[in-house]
Amino acid sequence: MKISEKDVEYVAKLAMLEVADNEKKELAGQLSAIVEYVEQLNKLDVGGIEPTAQVVTSVKHAVRDDRVAPRTGSADAGKTVKLFKVPKVITER
Amino acid sequence: MNLKNLTAEKLVGLYKNGDLTATEVITNVYEEIERSDKDIHAFLALCQQRAIEEARRMDAKIAAGDAVGPLAGVPVAIKDNMVIRDVPTTCGSRILENFVPPYTATVVERLRSAGAIVIGKTNCDEFAMGSSTENSAFFPTRNPHNLQRVPGGSSGGSAASVASGTSVLALGSDTGGSIRTPASFCGVVGMTPTYGRVSRYGLVAFASSLDQIGPFSKSVRESAQVLETICGFDHFDSTSADASVDEFVKNLDHPIKETRIGVPKEYFIGGLDREVKARIEAGIRLYESLGCDIQGISLPHTEYAIATYYLIATAEASSNLARYDGVRFGIRESGNSSLQEMYRATRHAGFGKEVKRRILLGTYALSAGYYDAYYLKALKVRTLILRDFQKAFEQVDVILTPTSPTVAFKIGEKTDDPLSMYLSDIFTITCNLAGLPGISFPCCKNSEGLPIGLHLMANHFQEALLLRVAHHFEKAGGFNL
Repeated sequence: MKISEKDVEYVAKLAMLEVADNEKKELAGQLSAIVEYVEQLNKLDVGGIEPTAQVVTSVKHAVRDDRVAPRTGSADAGKTVKLFKVPKVITER
Repeated sequence: MNLKNLTAEKLVGLYKNGDLTATEVITNVYEEIERSDKDIHAFLALCQQRAIEEARRMDAKIAAGDAVGPLAGVPVAIKDNMVIRDVPTTCGSRILENFVPPYTATVVERLRSAGAIVIGKTNCDEFAMGSSTENSAFFPTRNPHNLQRVPGGSSGGSAASVASGTSVLALGSDTGGSIRTPASFCGVVGMTPTYGRVSRYGLVAFASSLDQIGPFSKSVRESAQVLETICGFDHFDSTSADASVDEFVKNLDHPIKETRIGVPKEYFIGGLDREVKARIEAGIRLYESLGCDIQGISLPHTEYAIATYYLIATAEASSNLARYDGVRFGIRESGNSSLQEMYRATRHAGFGKEVKRRILLGTYALSAGYYDAYYLKALKVRTLILRDFQKAFEQVDVILTPTSPTVAFKIGEKTDDPLSMYLSDIFTITCNLAGLPGISFPCCKNSEGLPIGLHLMANHFQEALLLRVAHHFEKAGGFNL
């Protein structure tokens, strides 16, 4: 599938990226080439095949015991920054 | 003193005999960096003061006859996507310029416990996205064998540092070949362990289902030693594997006679450089002469690996890199005052071209209407690739391929064509998709003096076998075949 400059704008919006006007054309071209390349996967019939999101090899427990343990730096993490100040989230129209 | 000819093992022996001190070696490392790194550009940050203090303490310990670790006083370079407390970590990106982490990665703590001395942080493609280290926001690293060539990527700084003798060992990370390709291009040993084998606590995430940390060294024995030091369960990494850790070093000399080595026909294809092919074939003959059983095999879904990888890796990256929003760390651009404008302005100023391209591609593959057609499809093809390997490992013990279809290419040669850069990862990418361990080691040089890498893969958790098979190649003179 060809990626248009409009597609680039739309995806950039979703990804919180700014794309300058002069970059749009180049990106549309490069992304089109990549998307056309990855579309070779359509040659394969994957009906009935389970997806592999991660090759789980030997995971003990994803959740560890809820115990306080010392760790280098953990005590300092909150020292350097007490709060994160951000611009106004809700703005007037 | 030339570190190019000193292995970690020799170095520790010299310290213990009183022939050399860690302080001399570490001082020499920084002199060598001063002299040669202005051409090679392997380092982004140095930790000279702490390194020299550690060396002095180590010398005192050795002089007192105290027990020291297997990497006592050995200089190690760390790729700049692993955090070390109080040392800037940029991931080769402007967005993390001046970021100083408050904690240290498990791998670095384990190396330090074994006595290793961290000398600095090495250059890499931004957020490990690239195959040449040209995507670093700061400068490209150059190949020590030929300064007009790339060192490979993304862990190019680590590989170049070991190859040029500014460090003895290094750590890199490998998502699609980022350790093995630079090892191949720079003529050193580089290894990607089984997915989950090494803790990633403190590794900045690129593609979480693919990333692994691994060693660079000049000899297989040193890589075995580093791996033995850094691997094993870590409860700070929820994907860390609870697998027993073999004694990799001790088992290196066990015979490899009758080891079944599979050579997949799909890896000896059109784009493979003639000289690379000839050297790899000479390597296969060497294994034959060592009594190994060489078998032709097939991994039929190999041709789909790059497409699969660039959908999965970019999708995961687009999610992982959402955290760089200017709020908690790194730079902040204020934009025109609203929160969303601040996000966009920060990400615009902070991310380089390749990172933006991959975030866009990954976001596209995950977006409504395209998720099933691209991302989910890629996950299913990944199953087929994994099955190819499962089937092959019923027949053979290890799989042998070239590491890269070519030797190190010229700086700038592929920067304008991202797809051609992606295609250079063709032989290393399947390993990550299947979560397998892989190792690249030197297999002679081409007629221009550029190193060629031989690549071996084994089944999950078969690092001991993999290292042994590589070690015997080195012992038989294969590195200079």
